[in-house]
Amino acid sequence: MTQVIELTQVSKVYNGGAAQTALDGISMSVASGEFVAVMGPSGSGKSTLLNMVAGLDRPTSGRVCVGGRDLTGLSEGELAKFRRTHVGIVFQFFHLLNDLTVLDNVLVAAELAGIKRSAARQQATALLARLEIADKADVYPAELSGGQRQRVAIARALVNRPPLLLADEPTGALDSRSGDQIMELIAAINASGQTVVLVTHDAKLAARHAQRVISMSDGRIVDDAVLEPAAGTRSLLTFQREEARR
Amino acid sequence: MSLRYGILGLLAEQPLHGYEVKTRYEALFGGTWDLNIGQVYTTLQRLERDGLVGEVGERGDRGKQRYDLTPAGRDALHDWLQTPEEEPPQLRQDIYLKLLLISRLANGNLDTLLARQRRVYLQRLKDLGELEHQARRQGRDDLVLLVQGAILHTEADLKWIDVCADESRRAAHSIGGTHQ
Ligand SMILES: Nc1ncnc2c1ncn2[C@@H]1O[C@H](COP(=O)(O)OP(=O)(O)O)[C@@H](O)[C@H]1O
Ligand SMILES: [Mg+2]
Repeated sequence: MTQVIELTQVSKVYNGGAAQTALDGISMSVASGEFVAVMGPSGSGKSTLLNMVAGLDRPTSGRVCVGGRDLTGLSEGELAKFRRTHVGIVFQFFHLLNDLTVLDNVLVAAELAGIKRSAARQQATALLARLEIADKADVYPAELSGGQRQRVAIARALVNRPPLLLADEPTGALDSRSGDQIMELIAAINASGQTVVLVTHDAKLAARHAQRVISMSDGRIVDDAVLEPAAGTRSLLTFQREEARR
Repeated sequence: MSLRYGILGLLAEQPLHGYEVKTRYEALFGGTWDLNIGQVYTTLQRLERDGLVGEVGERGDRGKQRYDLTPAGRDALHDWLQTPEEEPPQLRQDIYLKLLLISRLANGNLDTLLARQRRVYLQRLKDLGELEHQARRQGRDDLVLLVQGAILHTEADLKWIDVCADESRRAAHSIGGTHQ
């Protein structure tokens, strides 16, 4: 299996008033096609970890390889190019450009990656349709609900067909219904072969959709659990039997 | 689970014989609950002894015998339905004991147990999530409710594990551990 992500002894220390160890010697890998959830208390280093993989930040020490490339050696320019072509990133608060239409928000990402306008337009339109917001193409973000904005952000993240989708609390700002829908979409995207790394506080969503859950604490991985495929009715049966015994 | 009142509730809709009680009771729980037919007959006999149900029609072979609620049975059911559950909260006593004992033993490290326990709950959430999904697809809103209850309990169990992990971490720090 090809490893899409490979971290080796990655540490990140932020130098503020007091040095802050955000990541403390993290080693882990993610294979192509996996859906991995990252959980842990706030401040445990989840976003920092994702930022390392996204090439948004550099480790203090250790090695970060994504798609077979060692990001540690890349220049700022190379890193920016890497971000535009190899990863799609979705954040809690969408980060859309408010004075561009939905379609243009998606197209900007494609243009920055150097994709021809006609090809980009085709891909963007197809994505908006797949995310069920085709009718919002010419609307501005301010007119959209949170769930719709997150769909636009996902379309933007995927427009350059990156091998890796990173999502940092994508449902954190949504009501539970929109959150469920966004997670269904991300799961469908994963089912079609996309590797997904998702940071979330929501254990129910993480367990429902991820095949693997990494738990972090204090900048370290405290557990890396591969879950079994969901077992339908069997589990509830045992659940009730236990209760009946009391 | 109260089979006694479950049976009273089903009989309140219409008279039933033992096997009908079994199949309807199981359907209420969407096939997650297998009821022993012998248990149904025993419970019906006790309910009859207590004057809460009575036989309908000719007395025949026990498989064909239908039962109905008596007025006393209807009152008992009504009272039960309006009585809140006061069962004590479910404490995870065994885990608690393990945590205490591990933390008292020399070099007691809770991380392994907590991680394993978290896996169990995450897997349970995954299974229950699938069950909820199936129930929804089958239009079984009643069963969805049952599963959601189980999901919420499991989420609470997970939160408690997080609280334990947090506490364990704090303790390790205050001892002036090697970290930082
Ligand atoms: N830019 C930064 N400068 C200083 N400290 C930071 C910065 N980003 C994160 N941190 C610190 O690093 C730790 C991990 O943060 P983060 O990765 O955002 O955690 P999480 O996403 O799990 O909540 C925290 O203690 C946080 O305060
Ligand atoms: Mg974060």
